[in-house]
Amino acid sequence: MIHVLLVDDDLDLRQLVSDYLQRYGMRVTAVADAASLRRVLRAGLGGPDPFKVLLLDLMLPDGNGLDLFRWVREIAPLPVIMLTAQGDPASRVVGLELGADDYLPKPFEPRELVARIHAVLRRAGAAPVAAPTATVLQFAGWTFDRLRRQLTSPQQVVVALSSAEFRLLSAFVDHPNRVLSRDQLLDLTRAPGAEVTDRSIDLTVSRLRQKLDEPNLIRTVRGEGYLFNGNDGGARA
Amino acid sequence: MSLLQRLRPLFSNRLFSNRLFSDTLFKRLMLLMWVALVASHFLSFAAVRGAADGLGNGPPMGSPAPGNDGMGVPPLSSLPPGLLPEGGPQRPGPGSAGPGGPPPPMQPGRPPGGAPPMRSLWLDYLVRFLVIGGAAWWGAQWLSQPMRRLADASRALGQAIAQRRPAPTLDEHAGTREVRQAAQVFNTMAQRLHEQFGAQGLLMAAISHDLRTPLARLRLRLETMEPGAQTERCIADLQEMDALIGSVLSMLRDQHAPQARQRVDLRALLQAQVDDRVEQGLAVRIADDSGGEAVVLAQSEALGRILGNLIGNALRHAGSAELSLRGHPRELELCIDDHGPGIPEDQLETVFRPFYRVASSGGSGLGLYIARDLAERLGGHLTLSNRPEGGLRARLLLPRA
Repeated sequence: MIHVLLVDDDLDLRQLVSDYLQRYGMRVTAVADAASLRRVLRAGLGGPDPFKVLLLDLMLPDGNGLDLFRWVREIAPLPVIMLTAQGDPASRVVGLELGADDYLPKPFEPRELVARIHAVLRRAGAAPVAAPTATVLQFAGWTFDRLRRQLTSPQQVVVALSSAEFRLLSAFVDHPNRVLSRDQLLDLTRAPGAEVTDRSIDLTVSRLRQKLDEPNLIRTVRGEGYLFNGNDGGARA
Repeated sequence: MSLLQRLRPLFSNRLFSNRLFSDTLFKRLMLLMWVALVASHFLSFAAVRGAADGLGNGPPMGSPAPGNDGMGVPPLSSLPPGLLPEGGPQRPGPGSAGPGGPPPPMQPGRPPGGAPPMRSLWLDYLVRFLVIGGAAWWGAQWLSQPMRRLADASRALGQAIAQRRPAPTLDEHAGTREVRQAAQVFNTMAQRLHEQFGAQGLLMAAISHDLRTPLARLRLRLETMEPGAQTERCIADLQEMDALIGSVLSMLRDQHAPQARQRVDLRALLQAQVDDRVEQGLAVRIADDSGGEAVVLAQSEALGRILGNLIGNALRHAGSAELSLRGHPRELELCIDDHGPGIPEDQLETVFRPFYRVASSGGSGLGLYIARDLAERLGGHLTLSNRPEGGLRARLLLPRA
């Protein structure tokens, strides 16, 4: 059973989330403020039924949610999903940059919350020692900021990427200097609501080449697939 | 207690002494006019006298009046006696307030005025004109300079409020009392405006923010109900409300904490926006791209929102959108065309008002307002027009970086 710790100052919402998650076989401990969170988390750390995931509202009556988040990070290796009503791209970036495992704006689709909890736990299970992926990468003078989904040219011009281009470039920078077949790229760039095909991969590669303005960065390996020439390495900024 | 002691508080009263010794515009002007009058008097007398002497031949036509030999200041007119043109009335007008000397003796037997007396009169007028004019110019500065500063500051205040910068202030310690008072009043007003706009923004953000928690509750409560057409509709309503809150929040955020500008490739942004929609199966395409290099100085997110709102409008009203990018020497022109019903000519401007909706259009009524607001912040222009071949055209002009 997944034990979830929920921090939110709204009583009804705590109750509703608890009830909802119980339907999916989770146990929820809900607290209202930062002080209770600190108490409950310290008490539950060595207990028989430790928390598996923390759902944290960033706006709490007592104390800054971000400070609280840092404190949690220091005390426990607990995956954190931020729940917040701010929900704008900037605060999402701030939350993820701080190292939150996921970020869900209110009002959320309840099923989405369940899916995210499972996804976060899967990732935490796969990589017990959390190795955060580099958020800002550099190659051939280009800067690729994954959180802001922004690509900056060597001339400091922001070059916007479509979702498909973003997913593809993410796949490439994660596997530099390795030939990726179209099937592998299909797997790596799959996204809900988007139909990815061989043809769309080829199209996105050519778009990306156009934008990068350097044909050698993404090389076509005949009969095999594509290779991203990340010789500069994924220097993390 | 002596009378003096009793009176002392009255004199040491700040208000009283302020009024008595303060630097008011009236006192300045009074002093200036008086000094100018006396100065013009002296100068024109000296000038005319000098000119008369310069004509040579000692005393010019007609002998100067006894006792008025040029050593003293003439009591009423600066004209040395004997230089008056014929018939020139020597009436001591109330304006020519000399220091109260006796009127000059009339000189009935003077020869008819020739050129030199006439010239002296003109010289007299000219010198007075220059002196009084100079004094008036100087005095006008006391009034016009603060007015100009006030006008400049008001203009800066408008911009500062639009861009959420601290309000400009006027120097409260320079100038006459009136100017200092006006500066104080202006500074107080500017400060209050600034605070009010800030508070209004915070208030709206808080309201929008506090609406989302109940929305989240509502969404979860719907989960406990029987799924059906009604709950589906409720969910759609919730999503619509959330989208509206989101756009109000992002608008406030843009107004209150504008992000730094970067050089942004407009074509890449356009392409990305179009590609994203094509991936979702929407009918958006780039019809014409002849812009050449297309870099603008902007916040990438704001630019994306302008495009998103305009494309979204076209999709909502016409189901499809065609984009074109053209380059001009100093600016880039981006058109978003659709084949929808267009907008009645008399509403082409009103649709930019917040929450204004063309009948039966759906949408939040904020999209165009936000798009124009952002475009103008970027130094651009956004206009709508009905295309002759049918459909609406949104035209966005942005200065090149």
